[in-house]
Amino acid sequence: MLLIEEVGMFYRDRLSFEEEDFKLKVGFLHFSSCSGCQVAFLDMFEEAVEILDTVELVYSNMLTKRRDIPRMDVAFVEGALCVEDPHHINLLREVGKKAKVVVAVGGCAAFGGVRRLSCGNQLPQPQSQTFVPITEVEFLRTKVKYAIPGCPPNPSLLYSFLLALLEVNEDFLLPFELMTSSTKASGFDIVSEVVNKGFCVGCGTCSTACPTRAISFNRECGKPAFNANLCVHCGSCLAACPQSFKPYPQPVYV
Amino acid sequence: MVSLNRRFLIGDFRGAFVVEGKGKNPIESIFRLMIEHQFIDGLLTCSKTGDSPKLILKSDEVELPSKNTCFGVNSLLKRAIQKYRFSKLAVYAPACTFDGLNKTQYFGIGCNWTKTAISLKVGFLCPGLLTENGFTAEVSDIAGKPGKVERFYFDRGELFYLLEDGNSIKVPPSVHHHYVNSACRYCLNMAAKGTDITCVSLKEEDKVLFIVRSERGWSTLAHLQKVSPGEVLFRKADGEPLSSVENFLREKILLNIADIVERVELGLPVPKWNDNKLRKFYRIWNSVDVNFEEEVF
Repeated sequence: MLLIEEVGMFYRDRLSFEEEDFKLKVGFLHFSSCSGCQVAFLDMFEEAVEILDTVELVYSNMLTKRRDIPRMDVAFVEGALCVEDPHHINLLREVGKKAKVVVAVGGCAAFGGVRRLSCGNQLPQPQSQTFVPITEVEFLRTKVKYAIPGCPPNPSLLYSFLLALLEVNEDFLLPFELMTSSTKASGFDIVSEVVNKGFCVGCGTCSTACPTRAISFNRECGKPAFNANLCVHCGSCLAACPQSFKPYPQPVYV
Repeated sequence: MVSLNRRFLIGDFRGAFVVEGKGKNPIESIFRLMIEHQFIDGLLTCSKTGDSPKLILKSDEVELPSKNTCFGVNSLLKRAIQKYRFSKLAVYAPACTFDGLNKTQYFGIGCNWTKTAISLKVGFLCPGLLTENGFTAEVSDIAGKPGKVERFYFDRGELFYLLEDGNSIKVPPSVHHHYVNSACRYCLNMAAKGTDITCVSLKEEDKVLFIVRSERGWSTLAHLQKVSPGEVLFRKADGEPLSSVENFLREKILLNIADIVERVELGLPVPKWNDNKLRKFYRIWNSVDVNFEEEVF
């Protein structure tokens, strides 16, 4: 018998499962962010219920009452690490100890996000503190396997990601694995990585992916126009661009 | 080794038809009928001049780009799906737009729930996109005098521009290759393989070649014929129009392959998340017995 102790909105009582009913234990850990990424997980609605048949939510600062962090298979981490905050340093140690695999969810955890705009080193104002995305923390280097871009990531992306994780769909997961090695991604990348290298086809996908309208469309040259003042460094634009990566199989029609 | 056969150039398809629209542009007629009969609730495409994306909501507003210029279509995707809540959206655009759309559908990045919101993808055979400046320069180069391009079409395996003054000029692929958007020089999917229907503009304005690829495209046209018979006429096309299109694609793709090979051999940079983008094709081009159909170039 495998005894699973869990409280919260999904499992209110102590439940016991047979060995064969094993579920993937996932948790949501919150560093410095608006919690929009966890809300995006909840926005999956009916799809979330489907996934909860195979996944067990063991920890979440918003969804469970548990205070101590249990061991888990996959930790979804949102937010950037505040270097001056002792609570964050402790949380970082806990994540390193308790999680087998860490997934950096959202722009803040994956690429720094809006926290890239902080100026650093002067407590107590939050805008004056120092933040780094968890993909840049050497301590978690071996554990952070995937980074999901977006501010927040689309619920449909999170749903597809969870399914791919359960099915070990390597085709789907590979680009998110590559993104962990790229600690920066912003609208500047669309300009430098795609447009400047002669790969932009002018399809406009980056513009629709941008959550802050930092990327508009230049009608004269048929290419994206980037406004750096509005960019929150979430990486959505580069991830959505069909030229940044496309390892998916061609649709097969019969 | 990749062989430049029909399967590689045009892709798999269920059937090809020459479609006649009784004096009107048959694709516009089809989209009009589809909106009227509520097969689709909106059409995402470009303006007639092709310089700006357009979301069409009413049947009398249907107007499609007539030139090979169609930029920024996907930039209206979020507006269509998340603001207007469209769940049966049709898209008419070149292949590269569908690369972005298919990627959004597969990964979910970019626009939420795109997977279930697109009801029909109609791509047009694209010889390479040009901006307005590109057209001006290309026409000056070929005709020796400036002229405004009205529409493009294929006739007996050749690309033609119909100018505003009523004259047509033949556009040699090698000259066209020089003026197209730089990304279009690496494109190997000019026939829009990831779509339901590919349409090819023909010389007569009221005729188009339809390459129907998917079951969805097939059944949509079947339903359309059922609800408004005789509005557009379909004639099966296996011989001439298809083979001449194939010949044009072969000639243009060879130029594109030469550019890809050159770029890989010079080691020119590619985006940071996809350093294998062109090298994968380079390896397959120089190897034997590779299942290229599983790959997207």
